[in-house]
Amino acid sequence: MGKSNVSNKSVISRLGGQKFIVLLVVIGLIIFFSAVSPDFRKYTTFMSILDYSYYIALMAIGVTFPLITGGVDLSIGTGLICYSLTGGYLIVQKGWPVGAGMAVALLLSIAIGLLNGVLVAIMNLPPFLATLCSCMITRGLGSIFSKNFGISWPTSGTPGSWFRNIFKITINGTKIPLGFLWVVLLVVLMAFVLNHTKIGRYTIAIGSNKEATILSGINVKFYHIMAYVISGFFAGLAAIAYSAVFSTVQPGTGAGFELEAIGGAIIGGVSASGGVGSVEGSLIGVFVICLLKTGLPYIGLQANWQQIITGLVLIGAVLVDIMKKKKEQK
Amino acid sequence: MKKRVLATLMSVSLVAALLVGCGDSGSTPASSSNDSSANATATSGDTSSADTATTDTATTDTATTGGDYKFEIIVKSYQSSYWQAAVTGVNQKAEELGVTVNCTGPNAESDIADQVNMLNNAINSAPNGIGLAACDQEACLDALQTAMDKGIPVVCFDSGIPSAPAGSVYATIATDNYAAGATAAENLYPALKDKIANASAPVRIGEVNQEATSESITSRGLGFIDKFIELATADGKTVAVIGNEYYVNNCKDKGDEASADVIIEVAVPAQTTVELCATEASVILNKADTIGMFGSNQVAAEGILTANENLDVLGTDPATSILAAGFDAGSVIKGAITSGKMFGAVTQSPLAMGQTTVEVLTKIANGETVSDVPTQGYWYDSTNMDDASIAPNLYD
Repeated sequence: MGKSNVSNKSVISRLGGQKFIVLLVVIGLIIFFSAVSPDFRKYTTFMSILDYSYYIALMAIGVTFPLITGGVDLSIGTGLICYSLTGGYLIVQKGWPVGAGMAVALLLSIAIGLLNGVLVAIMNLPPFLATLCSCMITRGLGSIFSKNFGISWPTSGTPGSWFRNIFKITINGTKIPLGFLWVVLLVVLMAFVLNHTKIGRYTIAIGSNKEATILSGINVKFYHIMAYVISGFFAGLAAIAYSAVFSTVQPGTGAGFELEAIGGAIIGGVSASGGVGSVEGSLIGVFVICLLKTGLPYIGLQANWQQIITGLVLIGAVLVDIMKKKKEQK
Repeated sequence: MKKRVLATLMSVSLVAALLVGCGDSGSTPASSSNDSSANATATSGDTSSADTATTDTATTDTATTGGDYKFEIIVKSYQSSYWQAAVTGVNQKAEELGVTVNCTGPNAESDIADQVNMLNNAINSAPNGIGLAACDQEACLDALQTAMDKGIPVVCFDSGIPSAPAGSVYATIATDNYAAGATAAENLYPALKDKIANASAPVRIGEVNQEATSESITSRGLGFIDKFIELATADGKTVAVIGNEYYVNNCKDKGDEASADVIIEVAVPAQTTVELCATEASVILNKADTIGMFGSNQVAAEGILTANENLDVLGTDPATSILAAGFDAGSVIKGAITSGKMFGAVTQSPLAMGQTTVEVLTKIANGETVSDVPTQGYWYDSTNMDDASIAPNLYD
């Protein structure tokens, strides 16, 4: 008993360790880009980084749960576009109130999350395959629901544009990134869910040792499904954030968004093989990706190099994870 | 054991069902485009009036009648309302002539391989003709050869394929993109002329192009750059072009950045998405010496506007703000021009382009000879948006 306590403690400190290192990387990147590019160190640039980070951050909060179970959710990127197109279509083309359109988007996201959960937990499909299929399905569904039309949610200044103020308000001419507050609150909430509720603890248990969790008599299937429902729901929230920040949502896009969220979560310390991870770590990891995405053009790097560097950073993060595991086994 | 077998069977059938579903999703644009055309004609009275206005200018006067023909139309994507307007035009004309059309297109304009696949499928279905808006100038060459061998006529629209096998492409219906890009420069330059003349230090013009592979985007980008160089040089200024290699190496004169009075900086994002265009646009808009911007299609122009959401540097007064010119229409760009955030934009006539494509295909099937049909790009800003010659081209 005493022994397991010790190893628990070391797990926590180790987690804190990685988060701390990644936070230092974030601060280091900000200092580096600010030093190299005078244009980077402007309030508006940080506003843009925050604006463009909300949807990735929200997806990352959600996808942390399936990742910790040892699975993955590849459907969140195309799902995001699908939910946004569906809600936007109802609002713009059918004249639904914005709130109702948002509700439909969220309900659809929960439904797709549920589908993923059932496929993985009950049908025993490998998560990679199950969510790859729902990735394709949502990509097609979004185009069908929107009848292949790109959708512009109500733009600022038009009736119904109030929802854009959820993420950004202007006070005395200064723009306030309100969305960041919501993201932080959701991180606090979901960190609580992960660490202090049954859903979270069993999510970790499934990822650490599924067989043992089943043998202990826990209804694993329910909690396993919930991990994917959470992931789907946060993709729905991300859809609203995306629609509020960007002007037009285009059918057929979205593939690749999920990789930024998953990449962020893994940089932030979620183990690629499950069992280990934190919501706050995922958020910090997302900012590494967002800073690279926004910062590298400021130092004059051409677009393709940005992707290469982001890929290299990800390799580094996974290597750290593997090395830690090896050390642990010794 | 029994249970296990059952579970395995169930999951196999599920995967099979999913895969079938996924396979279908690839071709959904085809089936649903017919619905959307019906929808579009039913809901938008203004497009049908647009129809009459634009057909006068773009199509020929001969009354063409269709037999029992079937045409395959492949667009670049359904990403922007520009393509939706083109598909609407295709379907309107098809209904009018009594021919059958099947519209497909890849999910994104960068999905070049998907489009080649669709083209091959279209050839295999042995239609009476194919209308193609190619995403890539080189990728379709083999398929075009096959189409020619099988005797299927191909008409290119929106983007031409200059290196197509001789005789495979019967006609090209496209905006003169190079001239359309130049139109943007012709209208943006006079507004910035005084500022350039009075500047004590070099000034910067930004250009965001969503990619550097298609004929339409590259021609517009280069048309803008070359015209701007020409106009500035005529006023005794030197110009340098920096940024994306394709545009730097293919423009008339890339000049010398160190000594130039005007620097044209060209940005191309890694993928054709609004947020990446916005990030690239932010970088240029943030530079203190930037005075003008050009986004060469709807996605790029909306990227510039998204970047401006935080920066608030765009406007119509060159003394206090950066002037941005866009391309194509859509509610976001139109709204920005009305509200004075965007200086103006060049629009094409996608509706007429779609209609002409079907008309030309029908003529070929009837055995008539056809020739290229150039369509125009029009400059519009807050002063002429409602003109009878402009308004029909400004789709939402």
